[in-house]
Amino acid sequence: MSAHGSSDSINLTLHVWRQSGPEDKGGFEVRRLNGVSTHMSFLEMLDVMNEQLVAEGREPVAFDHDCREGICGMCSLVINGQVHGPIPEITTCQLHMRHFKDGDSIYIEPFRAGAFPVLRDLVVDRSAFDRIIAAGGYVSVATGNPQDANALPIPKRNADLAMDAAACIGCGGCVAACPNAAAMLFTSAKVSQMALLPQGQPERDRRVLAMVQQMDAEGFGNCTNEFECMAACPKGIDVSNIARMNREYLRASMCSAEGA
Amino acid sequence: MLSWLSRTASSSIGKKVLMALTGLCLIGFLVVHLLGNLSFYADADGAAFDHYAETLDSNPLLPIAEIGLLVLFVAHIALALRVTAQNRDARKKGYAVRTDHGARTPGSATMMLTGLVILVFLVVHLAHFRLQKAEGVSMAGLVRHELGKPLGAGVYVVGMIALAMHVSHAFQSALQTLGINHPKYTPLARKFSLVLGVVLGLGFATFPLYVFFLGGNA
Ligand code: HEM
Ligand code: FES
Repeated sequence: MSAHGSSDSINLTLHVWRQSGPEDKGGFEVRRLNGVSTHMSFLEMLDVMNEQLVAEGREPVAFDHDCREGICGMCSLVINGQVHGPIPEITTCQLHMRHFKDGDSIYIEPFRAGAFPVLRDLVVDRSAFDRIIAAGGYVSVATGNPQDANALPIPKRNADLAMDAAACIGCGGCVAACPNAAAMLFTSAKVSQMALLPQGQPERDRRVLAMVQQMDAEGFGNCTNEFECMAACPKGIDVSNIARMNREYLRASMCSAEGA
Repeated sequence: MLSWLSRTASSSIGKKVLMALTGLCLIGFLVVHLLGNLSFYADADGAAFDHYAETLDSNPLLPIAEIGLLVLFVAHIALALRVTAQNRDARKKGYAVRTDHGARTPGSATMMLTGLVILVFLVVHLAHFRLQKAEGVSMAGLVRHELGKPLGAGVYVVGMIALAMHVSHAFQSALQTLGINHPKYTPLARKFSLVLGVVLGLGFATFPLYVFFLGGNA
């Protein structure tokens, strides 16, 4: 039974990672949070906790968020050891407190990877992803006005696969979930969405070589095909994208004139 | 001149591709090795197995094949150590609480461990049958002698459990690494990988079990 005597509210013990800056060692702070409405989202629960911290004259816990509807890729968090919490194919901002029980202990940690240094508390620096995109994850020609729908025939299957790959919101959950902190799922989704479409062809070889080189330079790990990334991905990005990137990379390395 | 080649080979994908290629060659070797060993069961006095061993031994190309095999093992192991060390560094600080998302398998999660057990097994195995090999010594007799000891049989069975787990992940992992992925064949390849691991592991494990519990075929 909860403190408010209603099954719509629960009492929790939170173990929240706190770290004052990138150089700080950091550690868990344990906080009781009573009367949490099960209708709240996980981030709203953290808002309530932060209001209490501010009322006590203390620094609120820093965490990333923006759209709070699962489309921007800003929210993160590893909740009881699981990226974006225990429910498959949702982001932390879409997680609701009804998935927790009264009396639960919840461990809240930042995404952990050498390439994603902690900036403060639960906020990590994911600009390594931006640099991978800047290395080649774009089409440089101006595409002009939308052309006639049937002027550029694309097989339905390729359009679907490209669309599925483009569902990646770049949250970095794949890196956080990977036992090797590899960034293969993210990078391969970005490589795939363009390798599958005609607009991506002119820069196809250059792109995959540059993006993989940048991915390696950022210090991400090597893929051992454990597929935890796919299981943790809030958008269900498939590991067949990783196979496609491996193929693209081998083709560009061994068979194209690029990088000679 | 060939800087593109070394760049490719030392990239994250390149290293894994080399691991996959060497690993697949090692699997190919294991299949042939197991088929050859089955001659141990062909007769009661081990004559067929001895004949097989002598035929192999008298082949002038054997040293070349052995060097090839050594290169495969050394390359695979060196890459495995490098990749695993890099992967450890890539996380830097681990999680206090870690719950898998359900995709890892017992095989995938223990590749370095099972690999090292296979390596230890390999050293024992070569000490038994490569270094003690001599003119006029019956190979079947040597097998019965070494695998009849509790420690000998134990090392072989543990080594083969590790091999089964390693290969159960390795085969389909290597295909994925090489970019061989297809909606029609990949689900089959994943199942085949498990079957291949179990068949190789069990197949080789029958020798120590047979010799130790049934005294071999003499
Ligand atoms: C007969 C023995 C062996 C066979 C047949 C074999 C086969 C394979 C194959 C096919 C892969 C998959 C490569 C990929 O996905 O890219 C692999 C991965 C691996 N092997 Fe081996 N291997 C053997 C021995 C060893 C040894 C002795 C070690 C270590 C000392 C080792 C350590 C590893 C590691 C760490 C991986 C990485 C896991 C992964 O990427 O999936 N292996 N092995
Ligand atoms: S806050 Fe935008 S996806 Fe969660």
